[in-house]
Amino acid sequence: MSENDSVTREPILVCDQVSRWFGGLQATKSISLSIERGEIFGLVGPNGSGKTTLVNAITGFYPPQEGRIEFEGNPIQHLKPYRVAAHGIARTFQNVALFRGMSVLDNILLGRHILMRPSAIASLFYWWMAQKEEIAHRRKAEEIIDLLQLESVRNESVDVLPLGLQKRVELARALCAEPRFLILDEPMAGMNQEEKEYMVRFILDAQEALGLSILLIEHHMDVVTAICDRLMVLNNGQKIAAGKPQDAINEPAVVAAYIGKTDHAA
Amino acid sequence: MFYRLTGVYQTDYAKDRALWPIPTDRWIALLLLAIAIAAPFIFQVHYVANYMLPWLIWSSAALALTLLMGVAGQLHFGFAAVMAIGAYSSIHLARFGVPFELALLGAGLISAVIGSIFGAAALRVKGLYLVMATLAMQYLVDWVIVNVPAISGGAQATLRTPDVSFLFIPLESVWLYYMALLWTVVVTLFVLNIKRSSYGRALVAVRDKDYAASIIGVSPFRYKLSAFFTSSFIGGISGAILAFCYYQAVTPEQFGFHVSIQLVAMVLVGGLGSVVGAYLGAGFVLLLPMILTNFVAGLGAMGILNVSASLLAHIPLMAYGALIIVFLLAEPLGLAKIYDNTRKYFLVWPFRHGQS
Ligand SMILES: Nc1ncnc2c1ncn2[C@@H]1O[C@H](COP(=O)(O)OP(=O)(O)O)[C@@H](O)[C@H]1O
Ligand SMILES: [Mg+2]
Repeated sequence: MSENDSVTREPILVCDQVSRWFGGLQATKSISLSIERGEIFGLVGPNGSGKTTLVNAITGFYPPQEGRIEFEGNPIQHLKPYRVAAHGIARTFQNVALFRGMSVLDNILLGRHILMRPSAIASLFYWWMAQKEEIAHRRKAEEIIDLLQLESVRNESVDVLPLGLQKRVELARALCAEPRFLILDEPMAGMNQEEKEYMVRFILDAQEALGLSILLIEHHMDVVTAICDRLMVLNNGQKIAAGKPQDAINEPAVVAAYIGKTDHAA
Repeated sequence: MFYRLTGVYQTDYAKDRALWPIPTDRWIALLLLAIAIAAPFIFQVHYVANYMLPWLIWSSAALALTLLMGVAGQLHFGFAAVMAIGAYSSIHLARFGVPFELALLGAGLISAVIGSIFGAAALRVKGLYLVMATLAMQYLVDWVIVNVPAISGGAQATLRTPDVSFLFIPLESVWLYYMALLWTVVVTLFVLNIKRSSYGRALVAVRDKDYAASIIGVSPFRYKLSAFFTSSFIGGISGAILAFCYYQAVTPEQFGFHVSIQLVAMVLVGGLGSVVGAYLGAGFVLLLPMILTNFVAGLGAMGILNVSASLLAHIPLMAYGALIIVFLLAEPLGLAKIYDNTRKYFLVWPFRHGQS
């Protein structure tokens, strides 16, 4: 985390002049950033400043119309989302995107999709072709369930869970893919103080256990300054500050942007 | 009472994911299988050949469709056409001298390929348009069969199934029933296994939320297409089994649009995506009209229902339609839901509510 070893680190994700328009609206304006392996990189900014759009560009949902995105040295800006996943990038969504009819366990097991070999034939000959794999991956899923303390709700249907737990299940599903890079889009939105503290703990635990690099979008400044190594602040699709968290959020442009918009989620 | 969850603890992951983790469910399944195997010895031939046999085959077709519509969430209103392709392919292959086992496999593959070609076209559109695209399949296939004598079997447009044997057993009399039973058991295990493996989870994921599915690496298009392929494969062979074990002479009308609608009704009445529901739905849609017809005819014969013969013939149909509507309004989740509620009632007895 210190200044010195960041010099030796290689970038894991690089965005170079990334722009995305929606009709006449330019949601991100030539954003460049470089995230280093092993760090937690914060992305903040008022609502509508283009944070989610940037993440959607990285993960292939809304490919950038201009600019390049490289992951571990490979260009990924034209890949479909499911191809991006195969590269080792996982993410959670601002509005929880779980599979609602399924149990917590099945949701988490789905996280292992890219590591499994699903096929109709294997299902037909389940006892000979699928069972062993299912059990091996169940074991891995249980490790994540353990890590995020979800044992007690394992067999619950996800739609009966409170929002805080749903966000945790979504994190578990993302971690289950054993990604090298994790994007969290407001993982603590709508949580109370206790749930927030839990979530921070889980994120740090997961980072340590899996050696992750993380891109974290978050509105809670206390969280951001506490756990991010570096920070970038967006406003109206534009980069207005970057650097060490404490310095970045105290820049006049950032203060002005936040005071100018009183509606940012507390 | 005897149907208890208490005291059932799974100690390893394989048992936790067993087909029937609860012993009582396992015993019920085994009992039903035993009854099905013993049926030719305990029931009259008439009942086995005219009720149980078609019920089994239609259940396998309903299972194929519930896999597509319920598990994978893709509507299909031309599934009878898929069965027609399987039926005609198998007959022509068998006539050509291909062993029946391979003819079935070939029929499945041909249905799967044609089914997924239409599926691929249909996947460019959604919802109501998907319905239209699958309807187009129904009419196109119907048209081809009717208008190509080489397929339909000439002017009479009936095609007799040749005599065949399966694993050296000539398919006749009671073996027709056992062939249908074997196929339905295989399909049942197939669908149950799909639902508990990574393939099935991916299908459900695409159905539930396609963007969330893609972010975990599931290609929505690939899995939707695969659902069409797998489901059409099963549907095609079910069509072939229907032709060889039940109809023995096929005509295009046996696989017409109304049959597609009946199949959809089976799946909806039974409960989308449910294996038990496919059996219940097939039974309801297939057997209820027969029972109603007999019942109304009985009333007519006894002089209780004093109306014209043509009205008498229509009463069962009206009652049947009304029943389906009442039924779907009362329990939109289908017969499987009613079964599930009953099962849960016993599971948690004497408590009123519970999980699992
Ligand atoms: N799919 C979309 N279609 C049209 N406009 C969009 C879409 N997604 C985002 N936008 C617009 O882009 C801007 C940035 O949105 P977003 O990236 O969601 O902001 P943030 O995540 O920082 O709150 C907003 O003005 C929003 O209305
Ligand atoms: Mg956002």
